[in-house]
Amino acid sequence: MRTVIYTNFDLCTGCAICQMICSEHKTGGTNPRLALLRISPGRNGLIHQPEVCQQCQNAFCLKVCPVEAVYRNKDNGAVIIDDSKCTGCGLCVKACQKSMIMLDKENKAARKCDLCGGDPLCVQFCPTGALQIVKLGGEKDE
Amino acid sequence: MSNGWMGKFLTVNLSTGNVNIVDVPQWLQDQYVGGKGYAMKLLYDLLPEGTDPLAPENPLMFFPGPLTGTLAPSMRACVATKSPLTGLLLDSYFGGHFGQEIKYAGYDGIIITGRSDKPVYLWINDDKVELRDAGHLWGTGALEANRAIKDELGDSTIKVSTIGPAGENTVRFALISCEYNRQAGRGGAGAVMGSKNLKAVAIRGSNTVRVSNRKEFLSAVQQGYVELKQSPDVQALVDTGTASAVPFANEAGLLPRRNYQDGTFDLADSISDLGQNNHYWLRSEACAGCPIRCSKVGYIRTGRYAGTISDIVEYESAGLLGSNLEIGDAKAVTYLSALCDSLGIDTISAGSVVGFALEAAEKGLIDKSTLPQNANFGNAEAAAEILKNIAYRKNELGNILAEGVKRAAEKIGSESESFAVHIKGLEVPAWGPRGNPGIALALMTADRGGCHQRGLPLGYELAGEPWKGRILDRLACSGKAEIIVHEQNYLTALDTLVKCDFGHFGISAGTYLRLLKACTGREFSEEQFLELGAKIWNLGRLFNLREGLNPAEDKLPKRFMTEPLPSGPCKGHYFTEADVKLMLTEYYNLRDWDSSGYPTKETICKYGLNDNQKFEIK
Repeated sequence: MRTVIYTNFDLCTGCAICQMICSEHKTGGTNPRLALLRISPGRNGLIHQPEVCQQCQNAFCLKVCPVEAVYRNKDNGAVIIDDSKCTGCGLCVKACQKSMIMLDKENKAARKCDLCGGDPLCVQFCPTGALQIVKLGGEKDE
Repeated sequence: MSNGWMGKFLTVNLSTGNVNIVDVPQWLQDQYVGGKGYAMKLLYDLLPEGTDPLAPENPLMFFPGPLTGTLAPSMRACVATKSPLTGLLLDSYFGGHFGQEIKYAGYDGIIITGRSDKPVYLWINDDKVELRDAGHLWGTGALEANRAIKDELGDSTIKVSTIGPAGENTVRFALISCEYNRQAGRGGAGAVMGSKNLKAVAIRGSNTVRVSNRKEFLSAVQQGYVELKQSPDVQALVDTGTASAVPFANEAGLLPRRNYQDGTFDLADSISDLGQNNHYWLRSEACAGCPIRCSKVGYIRTGRYAGTISDIVEYESAGLLGSNLEIGDAKAVTYLSALCDSLGIDTISAGSVVGFALEAAEKGLIDKSTLPQNANFGNAEAAAEILKNIAYRKNELGNILAEGVKRAAEKIGSESESFAVHIKGLEVPAWGPRGNPGIALALMTADRGGCHQRGLPLGYELAGEPWKGRILDRLACSGKAEIIVHEQNYLTALDTLVKCDFGHFGISAGTYLRLLKACTGREFSEEQFLELGAKIWNLGRLFNLREGLNPAEDKLPKRFMTEPLPSGPCKGHYFTEADVKLMLTEYYNLRDWDSSGYPTKETICKYGLNDNQKFEIK
């Protein structure tokens, strides 16, 4: 069964706590720009649109990886990059049409949301419930 | 660095175009921590004595603190300069995301001096710093310019602070707009920016802010979240922001009406959270890292002002642009507030200045033909017209009012001084102090002039919150100084971090100190932290005295000393000279200042303010 983060844009306050905890966890320091999820500001601040990796069923990143560094976790369906195999070639970054993968220039590897192993910190820290964990079901998602 | 600090200042000289990245001296970090600490020390050291606030030599500085940009809940940053409104120190605080971005770009502060010979904006992309032409942006509204710069640089995530037309025209209460809905509002920092021909500062940063002990820090952050959740004051802000203070202040008799003549307003509810929620609120908005989300954003759906997009009309704005002008229509007040945001003027000073002008016109002290038609209390259209005339310094009256009420009263003369409601030149916020001696003392002694954010004892004086275990007598003058000194010291220390006023309603001192220690590695006891605040407060006083403050200006506007409050629970109350003297004597004593309000030599030595260690830009 695939687990994804569902976003309620109407509840997002733009506080960026999700991005701060993500970057803190993944890089050891805080900067929303280095988070593996994004908040797109609406004009005039009327809305904020959180954007997260959908752990695609038909994941382009997984398809294009030349060294099979991108794989799917069998338990929660998350699409994960194996750091030990990733060469940092950037093909997955280009392939993701939602721009949810970024290259870490320091260790020359691609980085993407791995759902923190199943219990994402962004969801835990979101103060309003704008981010939720949803388990998808049904035959078509098998 | 893994201690919250970035360790660098960015210095920009607009006259020469020189840009430098300099190390923050260790002694400065040790002794002044950040935020307000850096602001007061650098203002004292960098400003040549007696500098005209609108001269190129006046530094315009932005300071986050060590906790800004981390996960510590509800952190902000400040702008510091010499105020063109008061001629004294100015530290003006803003939330949003701009302060955090300063850190992400790698800096603990931005220090801007000089004056560009043509309009420019500053583009800071980490260590790539550039002055770009802003000729095409000159004349645009503060929010319009923000949008235009993001479009021009092709990145909507860049954080931008701007000035509007009022800043360009050096209106003395012009503000700096720090991203949507967040302003360094008070004291005229926008005029200083305009005097430098600097339209905006745009920042994008790719560095991370790292803390010393990650595990302990996250645990302290979680503790902060719990405390915020448990605080009823904070939960009220989550639900209704500061707008719900309107009915509270109205019941307590503090809500300014008709240029602070009265303290109650029969239409208070309609301009409060109730009216605002009905007419335009749609959702909550938050600053970076803040779970409180006190902003309420929306747009006016119907009527004359349909389509106006606005953030919450904060309590102060509702008080000054609403009840103070006797405007009881939430939509009209929202429009006026949004207009001020776009023109780039402080809503508090703006409402005070317009109220002053309307009263002067009523009393026949200014020629009615210089005012818009039907310029009376209650007429929002006329108020809007006056605000535009001020921002563009359009006609003679607009030009006079653009100088603030103190200078306007000097110009208009005769009895107008008796209803020019300011302290040290800063228009008084929406807390009419009659019947509230503690509030009066906080306003009289606030370091930047008549300001409500330097220890207003609302809870202790009005809401029955016990001070050291006892409930205070609201009307007593004696005994209030102790609270004010404590609050000023504590808030000053917190403003080195830099805290948000609302966060501190919930987060305990212990948790702030835990956050500070886990972030920076530096341990403060509560007592040491208060000492830090006292030291910085004293340095601010020394700066003000050096720049010509006469301590006799620690006083209340005449209106509150001569006119009994006409309504509310403290009807009939006003302050006597003896009341003020009693409060100030207690205050100066507790501050270890002499009876005239000067810090004594011993006090100066006690806080180490006699040493000659000076910050210089080479």
